[in-house]
Amino acid sequence: MAEDLKTEVKGMVLAVRDLPTLPTVLEEVSKLVENPDVSTDKIGKVISTDQVLTAKVLKMVNSPIYGFPGRISAINHALVLLGFNVIRGIIISTSVFDIMNQNMKGLWEHSLGCATAANTIARHADLDGPEEYSVSGLLHDLGKVVTAVQLPQMHTAIQEKVKEKDVTWLEAEKLVLGFGHNRINAWLADHWHLPNNIKEGMAYHHAPHLASNYPAMAATVHLADFLVKLYEYGFSGDDQVPPFNPEALTILKLRTSDLEKILDDLSDKFVEISDLSFEQ
Amino acid sequence: MNNDDDLIEEGEGLAGRAQVAIVLTPDEQFAALLKSLWSPEILRFVVYEQGRAAIDLLFTDPPDLLVVDNRLADITGSEVASLVKSENVYRQLPVILCLDPGDMERAWDWTAVEMDDFLLRPLIPAEVKARIDLTMNRALRALDANPLTKLPGNTSIIQRIQLLIDRGEDFALAYCDLDYFKSFNDKYGFSRGDEVLMMSARVVVNTIKSFGGAKSFVGHVGGDDFVFIMSPDLVESACKQVVASFDAIVPQFYDLKDREQGCIVSTDRQGEVRTFPLMAVSIAVIFNRNKRLKHYGEASALAMSLKKKAKENPKSCYVLDQRESSL
Repeated sequence: MAEDLKTEVKGMVLAVRDLPTLPTVLEEVSKLVENPDVSTDKIGKVISTDQVLTAKVLKMVNSPIYGFPGRISAINHALVLLGFNVIRGIIISTSVFDIMNQNMKGLWEHSLGCATAANTIARHADLDGPEEYSVSGLLHDLGKVVTAVQLPQMHTAIQEKVKEKDVTWLEAEKLVLGFGHNRINAWLADHWHLPNNIKEGMAYHHAPHLASNYPAMAATVHLADFLVKLYEYGFSGDDQVPPFNPEALTILKLRTSDLEKILDDLSDKFVEISDLSFEQ
Repeated sequence: MNNDDDLIEEGEGLAGRAQVAIVLTPDEQFAALLKSLWSPEILRFVVYEQGRAAIDLLFTDPPDLLVVDNRLADITGSEVASLVKSENVYRQLPVILCLDPGDMERAWDWTAVEMDDFLLRPLIPAEVKARIDLTMNRALRALDANPLTKLPGNTSIIQRIQLLIDRGEDFALAYCDLDYFKSFNDKYGFSRGDEVLMMSARVVVNTIKSFGGAKSFVGHVGGDDFVFIMSPDLVESACKQVVASFDAIVPQFYDLKDREQGCIVSTDRQGEVRTFPLMAVSIAVIFNRNKRLKHYGEASALAMSLKKKAKENPKSCYVLDQRESSL
């Protein structure tokens, strides 16, 4: 029975065609792509604040038709390789959530917060390519978005379970579906040929010690997710203090003193990105 | 019969000379219609009333187009087509079949009858012209496109350069190739090498496109050699951008270990351990200004000598033709 449900859910999840986003960033990017003089860097900066647009761009550039699946994890590289026409096509074809789903705003803020935190942690931990850590942070809850779009009834059931049982979103997912958004993330990453480092960040951000190839990526997103909730920036679906796995600090070779610096850095950055409101 | 063997005159055809079409038809009206649609300097028709008579010529001196009327008495249209299409050296010759409505009553197996297009009586002159032009263009594109990147290949590159020279237009011609591509291929295998070529093609195409301009053109000579043509005023900025994008992206195509150590370490046939840097892109740019160039051969010779200079630098770089600055 549980296996049947899993297969069915997987089928529904991977069948996702139109992944809508919130209007604010989409409108901004739409304006930018109208102007052929705008640099891809500038477009990239804005796209990097929206998890759905970022996911779409990476899915496109890593699709086998371009000939190098699983290679590209940075948005600015993706935009150079896709080119202006394709970027414009992605933007034009992206729709906006209907009013029923507008409460996704909190999740968008949480995801952007996590991207910012992941980037900051990666810099403090002296990791190569901190932008890729941002991408993984940004996409770490994409499975929740896809569930909301493809399986709205289950999404509502999870929401109710969180309230009723006073548990985390992940625990509620396991009660309703039998598995969490981490599993859904792994399916999506595989199906879209996303690079392995991005995939492991998305799939193991609740259990960094299980990441086999990129533990630093999973540990960074794990810590980032924890810190964003600590700061109560955005809303990831529940009010629980998430369990923190101290092994993440060991993997990242961070000491408590480093953590303090990261926290200081983050409070400044959260003030900066709070200007970027997803409010209409 | 009109199978005169006049010398082909120079013209403004697709390849810079008049194209030749062989027409096999007993229908004089059809032959006359075809001849009336193009000036002979562009497309010259050689008409045969019978099919068999033309086959020898088809094989010894293949035309640029073959039009076969299904009304031929001595051989069917599909027989002629399969004679041509079964031989790899003639396969690229576009073949158009001319049919009567009755011929359409049976279903054609287009996998067996390898036609490129067909015409259906009653013929509308404008449509006949458009279809034949389109078929010839399509055949040229399909033949010349690089099988991996689908970019235009040598024939199109040469035509484009010669066209710009003939028109006396100013342009910059850039030859790009990758340094240490071979050592990458040797270590990772050709399919990983193909990934890099696909990436390089995208970088060049999108960079050149982003600078706009109707003159711009990107071609793939083959292997790790690419060519682009664009306005002389913008070419240096474009080169800078190609170099920057390539250098930023190419490390992603290496395994983590090689990326971190910044080179490939391998043992050669003599048992010696050698290190090869990460791949780089070299670009040599020559200019045509004030009608300096007369023939595309000059352009490629200039570019080749300049490329050696660009290759001396193991890092990504571009070299602009210095002779240009004195003009």
